Amino acid sequence: MEIDKDNVVQAVVIMDTFNSHFSPICDNKPMGLLPVAGVPLINYILESLSNGGVGEVILFCCKYGQKIKDYIRKCIEDKAVWSVSMEVQVMMSDTCQTMGDVMREIDAAGIIRGNFILTGVNSVTNINFASLLEQHKQICKKDKGAAMTLVYKKVAWEHPLISADKPIFLAADANTNKVLMHQKYKQKSTVKSISLPLEIVLNHSEVKLHHNLADASIALCSPSVPPLFSDNFDFQTRDDFIHGILINEEILASSLYYTLLKGHQYAATVTNWKTYQTVCRDVLHNWTYPITIEAGLYNQNNYITMRNHIFRAKSSTLSRSCSLEEDVLIGAQTQINDNTIISKSMIGKNCVIGNNVTIKGSHIMNNVVIKDNCTVVHSFIDDNCIIEEKCVIENGTIIASNVVVEAGSQLKGNILESTEVEKEKTLMKSTSESTEWENESSGSGGDDFIGFEKTWSDSESCYSSEGSDESSLPDSPVPEDTNIFLQEVIDSLARGYEEKLKNDYLILEINSSRYAYNIQLHEVNFFVVRALLSIPVLAENKNIVNTVKDILKYFRPVLANYIKTKSSIMDCLRAVEDSCIKCEWLDGKAGQILHLLYEADVVDEDSLLEWYKDLQENESPIADQQSLIKFFDWLEEASEESDESE
Amino acid sequence: MSLTEGPVKELDDKFVDLIGKFVSDIKTGKLKGSNNVALAMVTLLETIISDSQNATAYELCGAVRAAGRRVMSALPHELVAANVARRMLRAIRDENRAHANQSVEASGESLQRLVLAASARRATLGSAQQDLREPLRDQIAELRGELESSISSICGQAKEHVNGDELILTYGSSAIAERFLRAAAHRKYKLIVAEGAEQSESHAMANRLSAAGVPVTVISSASIYAVMSRVNKVVISVKAAMGGGAVLAEAGLHAVTQAARHYCVPVLALAPLYKLSPVHDVSHFNAYAAPHTALPYDRHELATDNMHVYAPMYDFAPPDHITLFITNLGGSSPSYMYRMLSELYDLNDYVF
Repeated sequence: MEIDKDNVVQAVVIMDTFNSHFSPICDNKPMGLLPVAGVPLINYILESLSNGGVGEVILFCCKYGQKIKDYIRKCIEDKAVWSVSMEVQVMMSDTCQTMGDVMREIDAAGIIRGNFILTGVNSVTNINFASLLEQHKQICKKDKGAAMTLVYKKVAWEHPLISADKPIFLAADANTNKVLMHQKYKQKSTVKSISLPLEIVLNHSEVKLHHNLADASIALCSPSVPPLFSDNFDFQTRDDFIHGILINEEILASSLYYTLLKGHQYAATVTNWKTYQTVCRDVLHNWTYPITIEAGLYNQNNYITMRNHIFRAKSSTLSRSCSLEEDVLIGAQTQINDNTIISKSMIGKNCVIGNNVTIKGSHIMNNVVIKDNCTVVHSFIDDNCIIEEKCVIENGTIIASNVVVEAGSQLKGNILESTEVEKEKTLMKSTSESTEWENESSGSGGDDFIGFEKTWSDSESCYSSEGSDESSLPDSPVPEDTNIFLQEVIDSLARGYEEKLKNDYLILEINSSRYAYNIQLHEVNFFVVRALLSIPVLAENKNIVNTVKDILKYFRPVLANYIKTKSSIMDCLRAVEDSCIKCEWLDGKAGQILHLLYEADVVDEDSLLEWYKDLQENESPIADQQSLIKFFDWLEEASEESDESE
Repeated sequence: MSLTEGPVKELDDKFVDLIGKFVSDIKTGKLKGSNNVALAMVTLLETIISDSQNATAYELCGAVRAAGRRVMSALPHELVAANVARRMLRAIRDENRAHANQSVEASGESLQRLVLAASARRATLGSAQQDLREPLRDQIAELRGELESSISSICGQAKEHVNGDELILTYGSSAIAERFLRAAAHRKYKLIVAEGAEQSESHAMANRLSAAGVPVTVISSASIYAVMSRVNKVVISVKAAMGGGAVLAEAGLHAVTQAARHYCVPVLALAPLYKLSPVHDVSHFNAYAAPHTALPYDRHELATDNMHVYAPMYDFAPPDHITLFITNLGGSSPSYMYRMLSELYDLNDYVF
């Protein structure tokens, strides 16, 4: 039995994406249960793993582990296809914040027996994992240090899988497929040139350069991968890992390889709404064969195939006068009434679509009611919504579950959430609030949030121009890495304050985080001050000014370490400005804080005055705050006094 | 009580697991080739029969039907598996009838029995309580023997159909066509292989036949019509032979048979009996594969976004395009296929 177990192919599926690209739809449910072409994502990965000859799967959940567990149990009871040949194990850990944490946890648990497959829940593929793993083993035989084989699919340069995601540039040895350089660009990056280190060209007889690869987020890993993550605590994502390995190839004695998928093999990742649409369409277009709509979840064919890639469940009811144009999926028990036009859309189970409705390029989940004369274009409507008559919903509107949209509403690019959901994140930008629902316009998803689009192929995201209250910040929206960095610094400082750790250690900690996220020095200055003013103690405390005073006193050495030069003082002041805008507990207390900093000799007078001028020029929201004006009045008086005394 | 009117029986969990394994084996490609699928299905049904708690005709029929229904809904295109289930049902009915009539007369079919068969079946099935496992074992062995020998018996007929100096055309690649043509290799005929959808497989088959001493020419499927006038016979293997004498085969076959019909070239369809399916309606048979053969994914650009690319897996050739079916019982014309159907299967089992 033990010998048998060694030959079983293992796969690790990470059930979280650690981002909020699918907010608010995936705020209350795991990513794995987001339906793609009518079937929850998790089923795609499980079915492809079982078809690909994998014997044991470890699902690693960081959030909603119980929901995944229940779902898996239900699938096994219902005899899902994959449950026969595969053992599925659900691991839960609430503390994991990144993929790196997950790998460290896996390393600690010691469940990996040999080479394994590492993939995310958002991969949709039909590849034969076992044979790819075999290929990886062959590479390992030649190169003992081979740590990971990355799987890529070649696509056209203009393909949405590339243009809607972060493009990759890859340089590799043509003979061995060893990755020499891996660079990920920002979305819609305008970088026109690539710098290729000379030694890459000198040391290899032939080098392949790829720029048209779609990342399948599937990797074949050697058993050395989890320990590598444990040894290098700064590896947070797979990209960190790739970069770390490539930079420190000699030190870590590891190397990376890549493989391209062949024509009939399909692999794509659902990373944002645009790729979501692309993947849905590819599933309808049979690219994922043998995982098709017809094959179904439980190997029972419940769909009727019609022309133009239209699939409808056998139990759905269509009116004679409705017209389905192309790429349509209609779920079980759904009813579509007279003169309704549907194209390029997925409609879930138990929906009722009224008369004269037009639905284009939209994704409608289960139990949705859309009443007469509505228009739904390029939008996403989650479970149990009711859209009353004559609504116009377009331009990437996302409606979370249990929302009732009033008759005659016009929605363009909004995100609607039910009021039953916690309102913490509401950005109070509502233009037309009603009792039933609230309107929330969002830009909170970070720089890589992609919405639905005007057409399936149009390249302008509707969210890019959307105004939000964050736009007043100098460099908003904050990129992801720096956000994590800030959080880490806050954590370190809070812990240091609570446990009265030595300041030297804290500086060391901050510096190591800084290198992990590749943060510039001036950004560090900014974030340290920002973090000081965001320590959670402040939020809970009534007497803010005194606490800030305490904190500043305690962290004086830390501040002294970072805030030395004139420019660092300006960074510090900008951080104060930023904190006062963002942190509600500092509301109206800018003056007092500046006073404290001034007294602690962190900032000098000249810089303060210069900064204040800047504030007024830029019309910063805190520039005319009462406390600030008071402080600067005092400052000027004080300086005059000192001048006089001289 | 007629079986078709009985309640829909659900299978035991262990059988469902077995079927799931069978289905996933086929899907993942572990089980390939219609002959292997048929044999695996026999093994599966044998397990179900021997492990059933009540081995009365009624119970067994219910179990086999449920298994057949499950496999059919999972793999609507594996007609062979369903055919084997139908054969098994027929065996159960026959065995049951034989037992019920044992007192009346010895085994063996009489004209009178054949005439009265339908009513007799209906009358006895519900009441019979014997354990049929023992007698069915022979029937299963017989069925398995037939499946194992069917390809070789078809290939044994190759000499009758392929003559010296003839020009034979075949389309795509298939194990049975390859063996058939190899069996006639000593006849000194010439062969044209027209590339099917899977070009590499066609090429591999051409290589193997050429190594076996057959002079082979490979042509693209576009030039079939151009060479058809010189061809003496077309030999094809089929996915399924249908009741009306039509065939379902690899995509692109219709062009071949159409050209053959235009030039009055005889078309021989190699169809072992297990491929004989009581299916007439092919409208739901549009199975689509991944369209990479038509347009590779890396050519998929924004401009092609509104495009639909199809890669159908099967083609339907009407009965008048086929000259002769070669089954393991010998050659038979398309118009005789319906008769063979009723000999092989029970009328009640056409639909699970």
